[in-house]
Amino acid sequence: MSHQLPAILFLLPLFAAISMPVVCLKHRHWSQPISVAILAAMVLVSILNLHNVIQHGEVRYMFSGWSAPIGIEWVADGLASVTLVLLSVLGLLCVVFTGPTFPKALGGRIVHFYTLILLLVCALVGMVFTRDLFNLFVFLEVAAISSYALIGVAGGRALFAAFRYLILGTIGASLYLLGVSYLYAVTGTLNMADMANQLPLLISSKALIGGLLFMFMGLGIKMALVPFHAWMPEAYTHAPESVSPILASLVTKVALLGWIRITYWVLGAPIVIFNIPILLLVAALGTLAAVIGAFLALAQQNIKMMFAYGGISHIGIILIGLGQGNQTGFAGGIFYLLNDAVMQAALFFLAGVAFCQYGVRTIDDLGRIGKQAPWLTGSLVVIALGMIGLPPTGGFFGKWYILLGALEAGNYVSIAAVLLSTLLTLAYFVKLFESIFRQSSTQLDVQSGEIPFSFKLTLGVTSAAIILLGLFSAPIVQLLLNHALPPGF
Amino acid sequence: MIRPHDSIIVQTLGRFLIPVVQIFGLYVLFFGQYGPGGGFVGGVILGTGMILSVLIFGHDASRSQYTKNVLHGDGVGMLIYAGVGGLCMIGGGEFLNYANLEIPGLETASRRSLGIVLTQIGVAIDVAVTAVSIVFSLSAEEIMEDSING
Repeated sequence: MSHQLPAILFLLPLFAAISMPVVCLKHRHWSQPISVAILAAMVLVSILNLHNVIQHGEVRYMFSGWSAPIGIEWVADGLASVTLVLLSVLGLLCVVFTGPTFPKALGGRIVHFYTLILLLVCALVGMVFTRDLFNLFVFLEVAAISSYALIGVAGGRALFAAFRYLILGTIGASLYLLGVSYLYAVTGTLNMADMANQLPLLISSKALIGGLLFMFMGLGIKMALVPFHAWMPEAYTHAPESVSPILASLVTKVALLGWIRITYWVLGAPIVIFNIPILLLVAALGTLAAVIGAFLALAQQNIKMMFAYGGISHIGIILIGLGQGNQTGFAGGIFYLLNDAVMQAALFFLAGVAFCQYGVRTIDDLGRIGKQAPWLTGSLVVIALGMIGLPPTGGFFGKWYILLGALEAGNYVSIAAVLLSTLLTLAYFVKLFESIFRQSSTQLDVQSGEIPFSFKLTLGVTSAAIILLGLFSAPIVQLLLNHALPPGF
Repeated sequence: MIRPHDSIIVQTLGRFLIPVVQIFGLYVLFFGQYGPGGGFVGGVILGTGMILSVLIFGHDASRSQYTKNVLHGDGVGMLIYAGVGGLCMIGGGEFLNYANLEIPGLETASRRSLGIVLTQIGVAIDVAVTAVSIVFSLSAEEIMEDSING
């Protein structure tokens, strides 16, 4: 039974998504409880799966019973299983959060909304597990198409942002596919492990280099790496309040995970192409993203826009960790990825509550309601501690391990970049707090009433998770070091 | 909103052509086991037949609730596909490993054959309904609303 767990994790949301239009044909309001139940079941199964992987080692799953280089192979290793636990927990919170924030304009299309959310979750599960380059493309597209629809679902300004995302996302997917086809032409295989065996002999092949370039550019667009990030803040800002948490916390992070798979599992990290060490390139891109993203965040007035740019800068910090080429840096990067997913979810929950409960979109308005909203301000303090990276939050330990890795590798530019980005993060949160705690004569008089339970739950759980990830950072990083490192690292 | 085509030639030819297209679609679908063909192509041809009938005879050729609900068929097609896969898992194999389809009195080869036919039927339904719903959603908004809320 335990060897079926990866497939079960994927099939739970898939079955729910495809049967929902039929099941909820007469009873539209069932769709949210069904989604919550399915994601709660996924949380249980993913924890079982993680336990199983830790106890008995990685699980290889061959679809249709075709063995590895021919069939599609899924591997539940440590990295995938840890990510899956995070994915299902955050997915559950995001679906719980959708209840009171649901866009009124949607009306009868509520069933389709939850169908899309579940499809998005099942595509993300596939992207985490798969070890087949083409399969990765398929799930990338399923996730992207559901995201386009989810962003544009409320109409208005969001439609424009969704269309822009659609154009850029499609270009990204096409580049990725082009890259995969180059690699397939050179190696004759799509299986990651099989390709990894063949690549060392072909390393000077121009087709291989071109293919890798296309793939990395494609995935770079998907994960909003700095030169390709233009679609992301617009899309996340104008997306409905109930959608942006799941997009910000999961979609870009899982695309990043796909990128990590290709860099470390297919390519093998310490590879040198044309005298350029790949890892140096990764660290350089990370440095760029970390600093530029934070600068841009500092310039924003809209809360969601600021948080989205903060996410871009954190992608850079993760890449800096991954680019150090040692175990500490890698584990730190992955740990920071987990933290960042939680923090992004928390930030966009917060922005959602601020808008739905108090009608606040900009930093100035946030200042006017600060004292009337204890839940909002309280969780903002915790999230700010995590984003800046102060102990005892997970953000601190993530950056700590990344810095240790950079010290080990002697990469002082990376250290400077992480510190500069931390300072800039501090600056934009000071901007927020300054606005909240300033003695403001124009208090906004909001008759908001009691804040709904699901808001309290999501804000509370994510804030607690930020601190708990910090308190239990040592066992989690140890787990990552024992089970989640790439082969031969 | 698509209105019936008023040319008698088109209408008469349509009455002949549509059944032929549908049968050819089914042939391609089932021939997929032995040669070129299969669920996707068969589904596209079946869907083309349905689109042709809508273009020739109009939206209102059939007013029944049933035809409106048929647009939920993409879910049904996927459900058949995933359901067959799930049955294989219950039988103890991997997802879509048809050898583990628990049907008494069938050899492994026949199970594989039956399994792939069933999944391809699911795929064909899915593709056909998707093709039709794309045409519907391009043609008019109010029909889109009807089919979604109906």
